[in-house]
Amino acid sequence: MRELREEVEALLLREARLLDERRFAEWLELYAEDALYWVPTRPEHRSPADGLALFHESRALLEIRVARLQRADMHVQSPPARTLHQVSAIEVSASSEPGWQTEARSALVVAECREARSRWFAGRALHGLRRTPAGLRIALKRVDLIDSDRPHGALAVPF
Amino acid sequence: MAIENLVRGNAVHRAAYTDPAVFALEMERIFRRAWLYLGHESEIPQAGDYVLVPLAGEELLLVRQEDGSVAALHNRCAHRGARIATCPAKGARALRCPYHSWTYRLDGSLLGVPLAEGYDALPAGLARVPRLESYRGFLFATHDAGAPALRDYLGELASAFDNMVDRAPAGTLTRFGGRLQLEYRGNWKMFMENALDLVHPGYVHRSSVEAARMNPEALQGDALAQQGAEMFLANGLPGPQWNEVPLHTFPGGHAYMGGFYRDGVIAPQRADPVFSRYREALVARHGEEKTQRVLAVDRFNNLVWPNLSLNARFAALRVVRPLAADRTVVEVQCFRLDGAPQEMHELTLRFVNLAASPASLVASDDLEIFERCQAGLAGRAGDWIDMRRGVLADERGAAGCRSPGTSEAAVRNQFAAWKRSLCAS
Repeated sequence: MRELREEVEALLLREARLLDERRFAEWLELYAEDALYWVPTRPEHRSPADGLALFHESRALLEIRVARLQRADMHVQSPPARTLHQVSAIEVSASSEPGWQTEARSALVVAECREARSRWFAGRALHGLRRTPAGLRIALKRVDLIDSDRPHGALAVPF
Repeated sequence: MAIENLVRGNAVHRAAYTDPAVFALEMERIFRRAWLYLGHESEIPQAGDYVLVPLAGEELLLVRQEDGSVAALHNRCAHRGARIATCPAKGARALRCPYHSWTYRLDGSLLGVPLAEGYDALPAGLARVPRLESYRGFLFATHDAGAPALRDYLGELASAFDNMVDRAPAGTLTRFGGRLQLEYRGNWKMFMENALDLVHPGYVHRSSVEAARMNPEALQGDALAQQGAEMFLANGLPGPQWNEVPLHTFPGGHAYMGGFYRDGVIAPQRADPVFSRYREALVARHGEEKTQRVLAVDRFNNLVWPNLSLNARFAALRVVRPLAADRTVVEVQCFRLDGAPQEMHELTLRFVNLAASPASLVASDDLEIFERCQAGLAGRAGDWIDMRRGVLADERGAAGCRSPGTSEAAVRNQFAAWKRSLCAS
């Protein structure tokens, strides 16, 4: 269990660093082929069919997001945002979900600065993690922001 | 500068977007007089149900009455002015102020006051918005007691609500899914102008068009990737084809554009099993002939001036809420076509998330452009903004004007309504 916990922590911290370093293609490699990246508008949503979401993306859709993040004509990232993803309070547990065996719950704070504007986002993250021959992969990432149903300016970099 | 001089021919002065005094006048003469969308009847099905809704800078309680009607009450105690409710409720028997416990009936009339014997007079109750009307389940209100009937205000755009309701096999809509809210540091009019600007997609949305082209396998991927890729690619229509998308403008600032989705799951009519089941349910309600007519209505954005954009095909709408000359919130809502298969509701949710979330690969670039325009207009490098694109191609008819998709006809039409409203004393 201690080994697994260290492995999970390393994965979550690596994910945060890859996002901050804008290594989006490598970030995406942490995700399983059938992964779901989901930021619902309400914590009571059990599935994306329950309501609107800030992000509701499959791995194939994330590929398009990442391809766009690497383009110079993506106006909302020109110039790019600088971000800091802080992951803390990581709890690792076994899961009986069909899609993954391990779950990680964490507190997530993202600071973002773009041009003259700085913003902060805070919420809880849930990672569903699957053991694959290539290592631990993210099958689900769900982020519940404390203000997910409030107005937000344009969002471009994933949480 | 006098208000009537801010629009001159096919140009508008930048003060229309930046001047707080113009903004204050807009609130007074446009937003306090127009019929504004408040919410949908399905949000408050039972007596005592209420929701909190903004109307032109004020907060209202939309309350279902015992007799089935709806009242729009100011959320402000008649005693010391405290907000009475802070969240929606179901089945309330009365409204109670938390400060000195003044209570009100569901219609806003005063029910009781502690220590009532100590008053020589009491107010009648909560202030009511003078006009509230429903059009096919969509609730609108205005602060102007002398406003025309809602149906007359909507004019040709009533057809957009008709089409959305007619697309429901059970004949009713139910609001669902909560809401998305987008905020930008720009003027409210930019959103309404951009909604019918068909030259911008090829440039503003180019990065999502190209990113989808770089990932052609997404079109054969899961439902989410397929719908997203089709939507992103649709913005890559060659210039001349945008011209063929019709733009219709009408008196009062209203307008709509034709559809431009041609392929796949987002095409107007499809052959897949879900759509076939949906179509059968629709035929059971309307018969074949009317079903054909309802489904043949292929429009994208329908704009009810000053601040509503409706998409009947995807059962969604956006309400534009000005906060300041340079600050705006857009609320996005969607509806269940009652009687349609569950998969249709999921298609609606995906459409709204993909097209209109703050994280949308499409909408996020629009917000960026609005903020760049606002930043540019704050400077004094030039006072006049041109809106003459396509002016030679307008075809005026009896009901309105038809223009090629690439025309700025909708912007000119919105400013005609804007000028008339601001100059009315």
